Amino acid sequence: MARRFPGLLHRIAVAAALVLTAACSEPANDSGAAEATVYRHAMDGAPRSLDPAQASSVYAKMLVVNLYDTLYRYKYLARPYELTPNLADGMPQVSTDGLIYTIRIKPGARFIDDAAFPGGAGRAVTAEDFVYSLKRHFDPATRSRGAWLWQDRIVGMEQWKTDGADYDAPVPGLRAIDERTVQIQLITPFPQLTHTLAQGFAAVVPREAVEHYGAGFAINPVGSGPYRLDGFDSSGATLLRSESFRHEPFSLEAEGADPAAAGTGSFEHLEGRAPPFIDRIEVQFIAEDAARWNTLIAGEADFIKVPVSQFDSVLASRAPPRLNAEMAARFDLAANLESGFVHTDFNMDDPAIGYHPDPDQDARNRGLRCAIVKAFDWERRNEVFYYGIGRVFPGIIPPVAPEYDTSQDRTWTERDLDGARRLLRESGWHADNLPTLEYGFPSSVTERQMFEQFRSFMADIGYPAEKIRPLTFATYGDYARAYLNREVMLVTTGWTMDYPDAENTMQLFFGPNASPGSNSANYDNPEFNRLFRASATLRPSPMRTSMYRNMNRILQEDCATISGISRTLILVWNREYTMLPDRSFVGGFFFRFVDRAGAPAEEPAN
Amino acid sequence: MRFTAGKLLHGLLLILGVTFLSFLLMVWFGPDQTYSLIGKNASAEEIASVRHQLGYDQPFFARYFEYLRELVTLDLGASNASGEAVRSLLARTLPVSLALMIPGFVLGNLLGIALGLAAAQHRGRWPDRLITGFSVSGMSLSFLVIIIALQALLCTPYGLDLFPVRGWRVDSFASYLQYATVPSLSLILVTLGYNTRFYRAVFIEEYGRDHIRTARAFGASTTEILWKHVLRNSLVPVITRFMFSIPLVVISGSLLIESYFGIPGIGLATFEAITSGDQPVLKAVVGLTAVAFVLLQAVTDTLYRLVDPRVT
Repeated sequence: MARRFPGLLHRIAVAAALVLTAACSEPANDSGAAEATVYRHAMDGAPRSLDPAQASSVYAKMLVVNLYDTLYRYKYLARPYELTPNLADGMPQVSTDGLIYTIRIKPGARFIDDAAFPGGAGRAVTAEDFVYSLKRHFDPATRSRGAWLWQDRIVGMEQWKTDGADYDAPVPGLRAIDERTVQIQLITPFPQLTHTLAQGFAAVVPREAVEHYGAGFAINPVGSGPYRLDGFDSSGATLLRSESFRHEPFSLEAEGADPAAAGTGSFEHLEGRAPPFIDRIEVQFIAEDAARWNTLIAGEADFIKVPVSQFDSVLASRAPPRLNAEMAARFDLAANLESGFVHTDFNMDDPAIGYHPDPDQDARNRGLRCAIVKAFDWERRNEVFYYGIGRVFPGIIPPVAPEYDTSQDRTWTERDLDGARRLLRESGWHADNLPTLEYGFPSSVTERQMFEQFRSFMADIGYPAEKIRPLTFATYGDYARAYLNREVMLVTTGWTMDYPDAENTMQLFFGPNASPGSNSANYDNPEFNRLFRASATLRPSPMRTSMYRNMNRILQEDCATISGISRTLILVWNREYTMLPDRSFVGGFFFRFVDRAGAPAEEPAN
Repeated sequence: MRFTAGKLLHGLLLILGVTFLSFLLMVWFGPDQTYSLIGKNASAEEIASVRHQLGYDQPFFARYFEYLRELVTLDLGASNASGEAVRSLLARTLPVSLALMIPGFVLGNLLGIALGLAAAQHRGRWPDRLITGFSVSGMSLSFLVIIIALQALLCTPYGLDLFPVRGWRVDSFASYLQYATVPSLSLILVTLGYNTRFYRAVFIEEYGRDHIRTARAFGASTTEILWKHVLRNSLVPVITRFMFSIPLVVISGSLLIESYFGIPGIGLATFEAITSGDQPVLKAVVGLTAVAFVLLQAVTDTLYRLVDPRVT
């Protein structure tokens, strides 16, 4: 036996060498196939469904707006964000009373070839397709996550739903006037309507495909977008350029490029060329920070959102964020301020901390909430969890919103321990009679750390640690169920704006939207509600902006929320590519403009 | 006939028990998927409508019997999260997990047996101490640490940069080796310690038996004693460990590997179903795993009889 081992080891070594040789060799390419450009995009999460009606996550939207067409989108290079026609042939014609929107659809838009169509050949996109797509949201069988955008907005839609959601039955306020013209009649003016038509939820789907695939439509997208799906599973998706996508030459001016802005020159070579510029996009879903980082460093991804844990090894400076020399040799960077914010709301429905029928106790509760707001240290929160590059702002109009006021009073985001202690004292609170706070969060290390930091902030004003308790939940769904059922005292959530208009954040505190609606604070201030109603039908104007800012002030003075911070995302990509990536309102629309100018192609197209 | 009927009845009871308990856990303690499926400003009526569509408003036993019907007819429904038919999901992910896990699983066991035999043969001497030390070290290391270390060592410019960091674009044997090698090595490393310790203990016990001493007295060679007497007479525990590890390795063992290497297998699909409360997927995986256990038990019983005629 002793003499046998060397022989056996030799054979194992030879076999291992053969296997490693084969494993380390690159898989052969199809030599005869035409060369194609490839872009590999790593995302930090995965969409579960590609049905536009379910496209609520940033990850789903990223793919959906590339597989399908929306009537509008946001200009690629314009900041602040601006709408531009996509499938629509121009901006909508709006009646003087703001109630009727008439929209023409571009000629030449076609759905991709698919077995859902007779003979497998795609057909032209019509106005009727848009009507069908919007109706789907109000069909309970669709289980839409986007219906709320148009809820109680379109004449006859709720009745259509009540009558059984028969797609052959008309909706008076949503009509295809002819093959290419859509008319939407609103119940009351809704100035944000055009913005909603740029959402992934508003993507146009063909009825044949929905009926052909049934529930499987969610993973068998049939759209008219710049790309079609070649593969999709829990690890990634492959998109191929759609040959049937309409020919629309790129224009720097139309995309909102500012000739004076730095970096505009890098897009000049795109002028006149028709997107999409990349033949194949490989989207990888990599939730694990370490794996995502390794993928970039190994050259297996061309783009990632850099994990916060790697900021130190990537950035040479924080303000403005700039790559260090080693990284800058290989990558470009964009610091993308998120189109939303993180905030912690008090459950105003809880008499221990919120509204109370006794006016005196109600005032004491307000004093307590305000003391907590004043004791919260936003600088530390930003430094510890967001690398100090988040943007702290007072209230609920985040910096990305056009109504953001750079000169507003920042009292409520500046830590004032003396003021907080004084408020507690004046309101009659002391360590013995302070209520026990339950701070809810879905179970994770980071959330736990945030809770502990909150508890340490409160300790500084004498709030006993044992009176601030964690209320943990196994999943975000369980957490959402609890706070939507008003069972959580302190609710920490993030809100991603759907469109750049502060109406989208104001509605978070509009009384009638209380839980299970999006007003998880269950805030209900008559003056705030009045201003919200009055501003809801107004088009953007200085008066409307002033009303929003008033509402923001009222909310801060009521101390209904500890808010807020917009995170800065560090997006890094391979320098061989020209792009302006965006996780905000442009979102996945930027894929079609990614270009790999002058670089040799990597792999053949399928 | 009586033996087969008894086994069938036992298997049926096992399946009923497993499905009942797991369904109970899913319903009472699993995540409520309603709140992951509703829109931003859902009304109470809309929430009730989604709950109805998910079947949450049905009595427990009605839902459980529906589950059994689905299992018997293999009409497993569609994922609540993606809409994909569960049968299609299983057909898509299971072969990937098998292709991913089988090499590491088999090699991990074979190497464990080889090292266990070597340690048992040299019990108390340096090869035994070396192997035991190695096993304990392997058992002490977290799966996650092994995965991250191997990724850094073999897949990035920080190390040898021989293999892709992640992915599963398999269309040939060469590409299969490219994508499966590092995950397989991770699996081997993480299971080898446990396997070696177990097999060493089994073989040492066998080494101490009278028939081995008798064989030695009759002049049997070391090879003959190892293969013919020790290994052969230890096959019952070896088979037991091997067979009953299969469902666990395929389902739960692949979870971290699939997650970190971006491999679209059944482990990742199951994990997503658990965390999101996607009951159609979970019910199918749990039910089919129970069936797999019963079938493996039947195969194992047959193998026992083959390797040891005394087993009745």
